[in-house]
This record gives sequence, structure tokens and C-alpha cells, in this order.
Amino acid sequence: MAEYKRSTLIADAPSGYCPGCLHSLATRLVSDVIEELGQGDNSLNVISVGCSALNILYWNGDFLSVAHGRAPAAATGIKRTNPERLVFAYQGDGDLAAIGLAEIMSAANRGENFTVIFANNQTYGMTGGQMAPTTLIGQKTTTTIYGRDPATTGYPMKMCELISTLEAPVYVARFALNSPKGVNDARKGIKKAFQLQMQGKGFTFVELLTNCPTNWHMTPLQTLDYMNTNTIPYFKPGVYKDTEVDEA
Amino acid sequence: MGEKRFMKGNEAIAEAAVRGGCRFFAGYPITPQNEIPEYFSWRLPEVGGAYVQGESEIASVNMVYGAAAMGTRAMTSSSGPGISLKAEGISYLAAAALPAVIVNISRGGPGLGSIQPAQSDYLQATKALGHGGFHAMVFAPNSAQEAVDVLYDAWDYAERDRNPVLVLMDGCLGNIMEEVELPPMKELKDEDLPEWSLTRRNGRDWQGNITPIYTELILEGINAAAGDMYKDWEENDVKVEEFMLEDAEYVVVAYGIASRVAKEAILNLREKGFKVGMIRPITLFPFPKKSIKNLDYGKVKGVIDIEMTIPAQMRDDITLQVMERCPVYEYGRSGGCLLDDEGVYEAIYEIVSGGE
Amino acid sequence: MKQSFVFSGSGGQGIMSAGITLAQAAIDMGKHATYLPEYGPEQRGGSAKCTVVISDEPIISPLPKFCDNLIVMNELAFAKYGEDVKEGGILLSNACRIADPGEPENVTVISAPVDDLALEVGNPKTANIILIGILIGATDIVSEDAFRLSLEEKFKAKKPEILEMNLRALAKGLEIGKKYKK
Repeated sequence: MAEYKRSTLIADAPSGYCPGCLHSLATRLVSDVIEELGQGDNSLNVISVGCSALNILYWNGDFLSVAHGRAPAAATGIKRTNPERLVFAYQGDGDLAAIGLAEIMSAANRGENFTVIFANNQTYGMTGGQMAPTTLIGQKTTTTIYGRDPATTGYPMKMCELISTLEAPVYVARFALNSPKGVNDARKGIKKAFQLQMQGKGFTFVELLTNCPTNWHMTPLQTLDYMNTNTIPYFKPGVYKDTEVDEA
Repeated sequence: MGEKRFMKGNEAIAEAAVRGGCRFFAGYPITPQNEIPEYFSWRLPEVGGAYVQGESEIASVNMVYGAAAMGTRAMTSSSGPGISLKAEGISYLAAAALPAVIVNISRGGPGLGSIQPAQSDYLQATKALGHGGFHAMVFAPNSAQEAVDVLYDAWDYAERDRNPVLVLMDGCLGNIMEEVELPPMKELKDEDLPEWSLTRRNGRDWQGNITPIYTELILEGINAAAGDMYKDWEENDVKVEEFMLEDAEYVVVAYGIASRVAKEAILNLREKGFKVGMIRPITLFPFPKKSIKNLDYGKVKGVIDIEMTIPAQMRDDITLQVMERCPVYEYGRSGGCLLDDEGVYEAIYEIVSGGE
Repeated sequence: MKQSFVFSGSGGQGIMSAGITLAQAAIDMGKHATYLPEYGPEQRGGSAKCTVVISDEPIISPLPKFCDNLIVMNELAFAKYGEDVKEGGILLSNACRIADPGEPENVTVISAPVDDLALEVGNPKTANIILIGILIGATDIVSEDAFRLSLEEKFKAKKPEILEMNLRALAKGLEIGKKYKK
């Protein structure tokens, strides 16, 4: 049994995330895996805009904070000039699936050798809970006060499904962080993605289903149940692309 | 003695950048600057650099942002419509104190405008290259050779200031072919990479972080320091060509391609006995205020702003220095219609011969 | 001595390559030269124009409106630029496309069937070399021998058949141009 201790990549400071927010768990998983791989000093976190930007306050490793949606572009510039670094972008759903859609799809399509960690909580948390591209049908937000209506706002965007249609990505997977099993699977998935990057295999993408107690107007426990009954049936966890397995 | 070549302006820019240490370029196709990315696409791999064709202007400038954060000499180029898209990234470069070089080979505007050359982006370049009230040094070379000289040293300024540098040229200068003398390759070593950069090739062993977001008191301090830096530029970095000013009764102010056409006209007018001179800003920001302010207004009867855009965009900067001591005239062509020797000669002649 | 040239016509008529080749030849001879292309938005068949200035002195402006040598390859170009030739200059007109270039005062008009001549040589792409041949024949702007040498250097090793064709095109041009030599 491993000893429970603070990751050296996470500063001894308040995270800034709301109580019960799974963002902090997601960040913790990433930092644990990087430490496990002995990549602490070699890692570079490309921090996006949204609640993910709170990483600025407590990420202890090297990081570059970038414009909204542009993390995959900045990561491209980093990795192309410093291929030996372990580079990952940490993006939320508004950042990645709305304003940054061109950047994520194009980086994935070029097969850039870095990892994107995608925290999907179906809302714009930092700006106060507006509709995100991943907001579920019927879900209430400050810009869909009667619930998301596909007639005017379309449908929740399934990023793993989209990205896995591309030729270049080598690993695309989605995990839900609302259960111990989901957390354990996610840890393995993140590790696999980073290992593939270290082997120079190409683009890796890990989506983590998270929550937003504050803007979903639920207790943390209610959010975990809501994820089981609403989020997970639509955003199905699983490995969408794994070229190592596919080719075997 | 450097290496002489008959080169297109755009290609000379790219080659000079490579020789000045540029090792990363990202860009998006747009006329009239396409030879720049095309040249980099094969040239950078030859010197161990990287070229990426971005999915957009926005992505390209953000790729440059990432590469610049690693201490790599990085560049992007575009024309007006694309520079508008890059505005976001350029503002972030300034906020994050990252050096980079941006080249604008300008064309007729606004909007999609025309693909033909125009000096339509002076105001964008010098007043608001992006949101938030920052400035970049703006160089406006007037020949392929001067573009080579500017690009070769552009990162020295950018790294000194930890701030982006803009090179503003128009489609004529991008597409002109003329002889250039190329300087030798600058040899940059890993240990010379900026100490603040996020690379670890420079031996850095502490946590590095670069961000374009700050708490308010820190940001206020950063804004104030930027203000001081702009004042320093004005004291130390102004580049200007002063031509035949000693006895000038009329002074043309023109930059870039317009300055060449104007100079030809001035020489012809001098042959006819008209005392015309010229102030040519080579840096548009910092603007050569003193050159205009300190003219002998006992002698000077008029200042003539000649630009390849209508209405003239540099005029307010000139007027502020003339301070109503003489009239300020303007002449230009616009929309992609080019200035020409005869047109500029006639325009100046009409002013200087007025009443005679 | 300073000489300006405007080549105009439509894309695909060898306008741009004629301009570059002439400017490059001048550079090779130790002169100064600028070449400035102007394109329409089309990749093929649009309007094409380039301005070449050649001088013994460094060139200040590359943008003369009135030129010493105007080359018009089709009616559209003639209509647009036909009057932009200086007194004492040369108007070189493609007789295959321009029926009547007129008789402008104090201008030497050379009306030559450039398209047909290129076909006779064996390839429409040799039109640019024919144009340069005519200009070299009629003016002293670059030496005949030096230009022949630069063609040889460019094509001899890899494309001897293209060199041979270009030399024939040059000869045809020179033959016409020399008739107008002052």
C-alpha cells in the first residue's frame, strides 16, 4: 500500500477549485503519473483558460499559460523545438471543444507528439456556468435557463469520438472520475498516454469526465450520481483509439 | 563581404531571419507574403529548425508563443487580414514578455480589401497591434537589403526587451526582386538560451513558468515598466534617414516603398531648383519625433506626408510634431493602386510650386 | 544609364519570366536591377504586369509609371498601359494579339508576331526569350553574348534541349530587334 503524500508537482497552497470539484483530482492524477514516470523536471504543463487556469496557482512544475483554446498550438511550438520534453495541455470543454476546436483537431490530425488532458464538466465554470459545447440536452445553464434545446444549440460535442476518426492520433480514451474504478482506469490511461509520448509515438488524448457542483447547483455527492445517470450514458467511457492494440 | 544574391523581398526576409537565428516559423497562407512560409518550409529543416503550417493565423501565432517560451527565435508572418487574427497572440506575447518577430506584408484594406500592395496598416502597427494598450517596436525597411538588415537583428531587440517586434512592409517590398548582400549565419549555442526560457537546455534547474495573466498590482507594475521601456526606445532606438534637409523648404515624410518613390521625385525636383528634403522613419514606433519637431520652421514652408494609403495614417503623428508651425499636406494612392514616380512628382510639384 | 521596362499581358504569356530573366541578366553583368511583379488574383490567365528597372547606379524607385520600353502582349494590356511609354522609347507589341499599336509620336514601335514566332521555335513558352532577344537587339541594355552565356549556364547541364530551343528563340528575337537599333 503506497503512502499517501502530496505530489511534489502540486504546491502547498489552496487549489482554488470549489469544494467537491473533480478538477483537483484530475490534476492530482496527472501529477502522480508524471512523478511515477520520473518526469517531474522534464514535464511542461501548457495551461489553458477556464477553471483549468487555476493550475497557475498551484502547479509546481514548469508551465506555460496560454490564450483561450490555443494550448494545442502553443504545445506544438514547444514540442517541435524541444522534443525531449514531456509536454501536455490541460484543457476544459469550452476551451477545447468550442473556441479551440480548430487547434485541437489540427494538432491531433498532425499527430503532434504531446498529450492533451481534457477535463469535461459540461459547463463554463469560471465565467459562471454558461452553456458549453458539451452541455447535455435539457441541462440548465445561465444561457440555457430552460435547459439546452438542440433545436437552437445543437447537441453535446463528443470529442473522443471525433478525434478517434482521425488517422494520426495513437491513443484516445475517456474516463469518468466519479467512481474509484473510473479514477483507477483514468490513472492507467494517463500513464499510457504519457508513455506513448515518451516513446515518440504521437498524439494522445485523455478525456476525463468531471463535475461542477457550483454551477450544476448540486452537492458534490449529487453530482457523482448525476454523472452516472446523465453524463456517462451520453459520454461513454472507454478506449476509442489505441493503435498499439488496433494493430495487434 | 557577404554573399550577394538577386532575391525576392519575401525570400530575403526568410533567409535573413534564418541567418539571424530564427529556428521556428509557423504561418498561414495569405497573399502577398506566401514566399515567406514557402521558403521557411524547406530552409528551416536544413538548419535544424522547425516549420509548421498552422490551421489558422491564430494557431500560428500561438505556436510561435510556445516556441518563444522555450527561448527559440521564432517568427510568423502575414498580411493585414491575418495580422488582425494574430492580434490576440501578439497581445499575449507582450503580456507574457516573450520575444518574437512578426512580419506584415501589407495589402489594401480594410477587410479582405485587395491582394495588391498598400501601406494600410500603419495605425494597427503603431497604435493597437492588439488589445490592452501595449506597443511593439515597428521597423519599416524600404528595400530588400534593409529588410535583411532588420530581420538579421530583430531578435536582438526582441530578446533585449522581452517583447515582440513587428516588421511592416507592403506587398511591393515583399515581391520586389533586387540584389541583397546576406550576412553570415549567427551561431547560437544552447547555453546562450535566455535564462528565463522554459527550456532546460540552458542548464536551468528551477521551476519555470510564463504567464500572460497577473494579479492587479503586479499587472500595474508591468504596465508602468512597459511605459518606461517605450520612453527608452524613443531616446535610444529611433532609426531615421534624413535626406537633403539642410536647406529644405519642403519636407516629405514617407516610409517604406513610398519613401523610394518620393526620393526619386525629390531628386528630380532638386534638378529643377526646388528645395525639397525628406524624413524617412525606419522605426515607425518609436516614431522619429525629434527629426520633425526640430526642423527649422523659419525655413520650412510645408511638410508633405506621402503614403500608399488614403487617408494618410501617419499624418497625426507628423502634425503633433509640426505643432502648426507650417501646413501639413498629404498625398497617396490606396486600395492596391500603387504610387508611381510621375504621380508623386506631380503631387509634390503642385505643393512646392504653389503660387509661383 | 538607366532603363525601365514594363512587361504586360495575361498570365501564361511569359510576362513574369521575361522580366526576371532580363533583370537577372543585368545583375549578372554587374548592373543594378529591380523586378516588381503585379498580379491579379487568378493563378492562371489573369492580368500580369511586371516592371524592371536596370541601371549602372543603385536604383531608388522601382515604380516608374512611364517606361523606356513597354512590352504589351495582348489588347487588354495595350488598352491599359499603351500610353505609358516615354518619348524616345520602344513600344514592343505582340502582333498576334494586337492588330494596330498605332504610331505614337517619338516612339519606336516594334510589332512582332511573338506568339507565332514562339510556335515556330517549338514551344509557346519561349515567348519570353523572344521578347528579350528583341529588346537586346534594339537596345544596349544587356550584352547579347552575356545573355547567351547566362542561358547556357542555366540550362546546359540539365536541359540541353531547352537550351537549344531558347538559343533559337533568342536568335529570332535578335534578328527582329537589330532592325530597330539606333
